[in-house]
Amino acid sequence: MVGAERGHHRGGVISTQTAPDEGRVEVHDLTKTFGSVTAVDSLSFTVEPGQVTGFLGPNGAGKTTTLRMALGLITPDRGSTTIGGTPYAALRQPARHVGAVLETAFHPGRSGRDHLRVYCRAAGLPVERADEVLARVGLTPAARRKAGNYSLGMRQRLGLATALLGDPRVLVLDEPANGLDPEGIQWLRGFLRHLAHDEGRTVLISSHLLSEVEQTADRVVIVGAGKLVRQGSLDELRRESAGTVTVRSPQVDALAAALAGAGAAVTTTAPGALQVSGLTTDEIGHRAFAAGVELHELSARTSGLEEVYFRLTAGAEQYAATTTPGSVA
Amino acid sequence: MNLVRAEWTKLLSTKVGYWMLLVAALMAGGFTALFTALAGSENGLPPVGSTAFAEVVAGIPAQVAVIPLVLGIIGMTQEYRHRTATPTFLVSPRRGRVVVAKLLAYAVVGVVVAVVVVAVVVAVATVYGSARGGAPDWTSDTLGVLARSGLALVVFAVIGVGVGALVRNQVGAVVGSLVYLFVIESIIASIPATADAYRFLPGGALAAMTGSGGGGVDLLTEWQGGLLLLGYGLVAAVLGSVLAVRRDVV
Repeated sequence: MVGAERGHHRGGVISTQTAPDEGRVEVHDLTKTFGSVTAVDSLSFTVEPGQVTGFLGPNGAGKTTTLRMALGLITPDRGSTTIGGTPYAALRQPARHVGAVLETAFHPGRSGRDHLRVYCRAAGLPVERADEVLARVGLTPAARRKAGNYSLGMRQRLGLATALLGDPRVLVLDEPANGLDPEGIQWLRGFLRHLAHDEGRTVLISSHLLSEVEQTADRVVIVGAGKLVRQGSLDELRRESAGTVTVRSPQVDALAAALAGAGAAVTTTAPGALQVSGLTTDEIGHRAFAAGVELHELSARTSGLEEVYFRLTAGAEQYAATTTPGSVA
Repeated sequence: MNLVRAEWTKLLSTKVGYWMLLVAALMAGGFTALFTALAGSENGLPPVGSTAFAEVVAGIPAQVAVIPLVLGIIGMTQEYRHRTATPTFLVSPRRGRVVVAKLLAYAVVGVVVAVVVVAVVVAVATVYGSARGGAPDWTSDTLGVLARSGLALVVFAVIGVGVGALVRNQVGAVVGSLVYLFVIESIIASIPATADAYRFLPGGALAAMTGSGGGGVDLLTEWQGGLLLLGYGLVAAVLGSVLAVRRDVV
């Protein structure tokens, strides 16, 4: 069903590009200054098809500005973005390549269905697409109601429906979970993963919360103060979050000597207890056994993704609250 | 062409367009009825059935030019007010085309408003005039005034889109252009030192075009006025397009 639909809309539109590159988004050296504030600073990253990529950073890190520059709405001071090798503004039928929800924008007096029909017309798509995408996001019962009376969650769905009109290869969503109830978030996660994993689309979602994309994203691009802080898979980040191991033993000195020889950092935290970093629990257990040391506890403590994210973006908040002790009147 | 149709879909799927058309028709019909009722009395209006009365009637459609002006302003500024500029410019990143499509779409909307207004004016003047002693006596001259009067509505719709693209703030653009037309231009026309310039302003051009008003100030000829008005419309449109293309959509 979905495959046939895509074949129908994509037929002959993109004939010069090879399939895998078609949905790749390449951001190169983007820079934008507003007055004295450098909102985005020499930012480069790549977003691949078939994956959900989380675009993360604290509020004011330059996420929205970056997305707007990528989509030709803001002119960068320097740098460029290509979608399947072409800048957004040069795409012949952008709605068929990229669907974007940057804000829930609609005329409050216009019904959801008419809103979509406007963009069907503008994009040269058959107006029947409006009803198809309404069904896809579960808004059919509210199709003829004024969008101004929609709940926040329904507005997000209408925005998503607008983005899906042209059956695009690439989806860009700015803070899509805002205003969704837990059920809506659950639905959105499943929907986005389906679009990326089963349909091979490129899905880029921005968020200021890692926990919001943790269950959805395969990769993350983390920015702070307009600069790239980190890009990589969530698994890589998880490995990085593997923290320290606590070991208790009646023979701490012998154990410490055995572990130090293996290149681990060892600190004594309490009588009979060590904190070890740089080795896994398996490795520590093996070395203890080889040295004939008796162990009473061997437990890993992971710092958690959220902590890693916080560490990476620490100090990058544009309007960070001052936490100087004693400064509170 | 797709973009022009999109603009019509936008206009027809909200209520503002229908309301504005109704207001324009009511205002024009009301003025005509009032003028017909007062025709031939001592306050200077020519009697019904005369050519002079037909000329007065022919100028009435231009009196509601603010309606297509406001419609054009709303058509452009609602994109910024309701933030739909973002999806609109995403679908058509060549923003100049969006503005051109709006200009074309609203020129046609202006034609529709003009046809309705002219029809209402003629109908009221004919029916009510006949009841009072005679329908207006149309000549090629007075029909020419009527046609230019209607054409002025089309030009004002185009000017509205241009002004909207320039100002972007809906309330500011509407209030600003009304204050300009009804207050500033009146002051300019009434001060002897500046009255000479009035004929080159949009209001003066509109008055010249329909051969009405002017308050004793020298006006341009009808066609000069019409061309000047069109010129204002085009300048507003070109400036608006250029700015819409260059400004960031944030």
